[in-house]
Amino acid sequence: MTGVFYLAWRYLVWHRWKTTILVLAVTLVIYLPLGLQLLVQQTAVDMTARADRSPLLLGSRGSPLELVLNSLYFSTEQPPALHYGVLDELRASGLVDAIPLYVRFSSGGLPIVGTNLDYFDFRGLRIAAGRSLVGLGEAVLGARAAQRLALEVGDSVVSSPQSVFDLAGVYPLKMSVVGVLEPAHNQDDDAIFVDVKTAWVIQGLGHGHQDLARPEAAAAILKKEGDRLVANASLVQYNEITPQNVDSFHFHGASEQHPLTAVLSVPRDDKARVLMLGRYQSDAQLQMVQPLTVIDELLSTIFAIQRYVLVAMVLVGAATAAVVLLVFLLSLRARQAEMDTMSRLGGSRLSINSLMLAEIAIVLALSGLLATLLTLATLNWGGPLLRAVVMQ
Amino acid sequence: MIGIRDLQFCYPGSDFCLHIDQLSIEAGERVAVVGPSGSGKTSLLNLVAGVVLPDSGQLHVADQPISTLADSARRDFRIRHLGMVFQSFELLEYLSVLDNILLPLRIGNGLSVRDSLRARACELAAHVGISDKLRRYPGQLSQGERQRVAVSRALLLEPSLVLADEPTGNLDPLNKTLVLDLLLDYARQQGATLVTVTHDTELLSRFDRVIDFRSLNRWQGRQ
Repeated sequence: MTGVFYLAWRYLVWHRWKTTILVLAVTLVIYLPLGLQLLVQQTAVDMTARADRSPLLLGSRGSPLELVLNSLYFSTEQPPALHYGVLDELRASGLVDAIPLYVRFSSGGLPIVGTNLDYFDFRGLRIAAGRSLVGLGEAVLGARAAQRLALEVGDSVVSSPQSVFDLAGVYPLKMSVVGVLEPAHNQDDDAIFVDVKTAWVIQGLGHGHQDLARPEAAAAILKKEGDRLVANASLVQYNEITPQNVDSFHFHGASEQHPLTAVLSVPRDDKARVLMLGRYQSDAQLQMVQPLTVIDELLSTIFAIQRYVLVAMVLVGAATAAVVLLVFLLSLRARQAEMDTMSRLGGSRLSINSLMLAEIAIVLALSGLLATLLTLATLNWGGPLLRAVVMQ
Repeated sequence: MIGIRDLQFCYPGSDFCLHIDQLSIEAGERVAVVGPSGSGKTSLLNLVAGVVLPDSGQLHVADQPISTLADSARRDFRIRHLGMVFQSFELLEYLSVLDNILLPLRIGNGLSVRDSLRARACELAAHVGISDKLRRYPGQLSQGERQRVAVSRALLLEPSLVLADEPTGNLDPLNKTLVLDLLLDYARQQGATLVTVTHDTELLSRFDRVIDFRSLNRWQGRQ
């Protein structure tokens, strides 16, 4: 039989374009339903696992899905903001541990997550190099973020400008990288963590500038109104927070009015969870959601769509299989003279009849191999890709 | 080597039949079969090779009652004891020259490509003057070269009987002589029997015997 496989292989190599098209067609028939199913399953497992580890989320009224995707998976869609003062109210209730989240800005396409040290404890994130957040203007990078941005402790990371042509817009802030996290194998790996106050500085709610009382800033004084000094446009504003200028940074307005995108709420017990859900059930401004419920709803929609897509793929697959079969049958007819020659030379009936089967077997084996490689590639890289698509 | 007695063969659905009272070809004999087109020369070769079966009569090849053997036994007999050369060469376009010569080993029951046979294939190729073309494909060869490949394929397993169906029909004079020399030399050196169907009367003098099919086929038409 090895002789027959050799002949089949030579025939397929000789007709390489026909073979390539056949292999690709069969590969797609195998891979597409399999890859899609695995991809959706893996994404579902990943998303569910993270949602399951995030008991409650408090946010402004609006789309619960948007709130969950932004707060848990750092999607670019932004839910309406809520005031920082809500965090204090939650803490005061004594029912939950409240962790602020402000996910609005980015750097190099990676999300900047404004939060506090409780987030690291809650997610079990550990520092691989450097230290954790201590002061204003510091950043801790997720493992993949550090890799993608090619940054390490001691380097700087600059937030992306949001409105280049808007003078009153969000300007880039240069931040010091003080730590890099160990890989967590989830969305935290792709994030840049800063203190929530640093996120407010990025937004322009806090800023630092020259001290007008110092002699070198004399040229920046526009006028004096009693004890008050009014600066002109030449006043140097800092776009980087350093140990030298950190004291000049200050916030305007009451901090309880500053924005958050969500508050990650960890109830002390099940009763506290139920109480918190009940408390915000009829609140006109705020909503308390259970991420797992929201993600389950999203996934059930995705699974429903997937079922239709799979049915369509099976039908297309059947049609493709029929066409491939037709190609081989027509090939058999076209090669009748070749088969006759083999028969007249004394080729065994088994060998001659097996020739076409060997060709089909080789095409299927190559297609299976290719589909397996594609499936493995999908399992490795498809999950983050699909999540990225879902997050957009 | 070949013994035929009262053999009848008709193609199904055709008016043509073959009726041979008696024919005997001795071992080592080199025989040319001549006759007009459609007189049944190729049918005779196919009958001798066991590719088709007679309707009646006796047919022995190398002491084997070829027509009574099972299909698998006839195929096995053909590939081990017979070498066949065709007018249109019948090489496989997707195989190299070397692989075309080795083809019987890949399709024959219980045969395989051994080093000794590969060496013999190369030796045959050198003998017929195509040793520098072993990696080429039939489409890259001249007509004469293709027929030399076909002859090498037929002689690979050192058959005791070579059946050649107009082997020089598509060749120029130089290659005609070359190919016929190869077949006759082989038969002479190995003591093999050679039966060649030909239309070329210039070549007949080189055979031991010429069989004229007009006198051999006794069929008188349907009664």
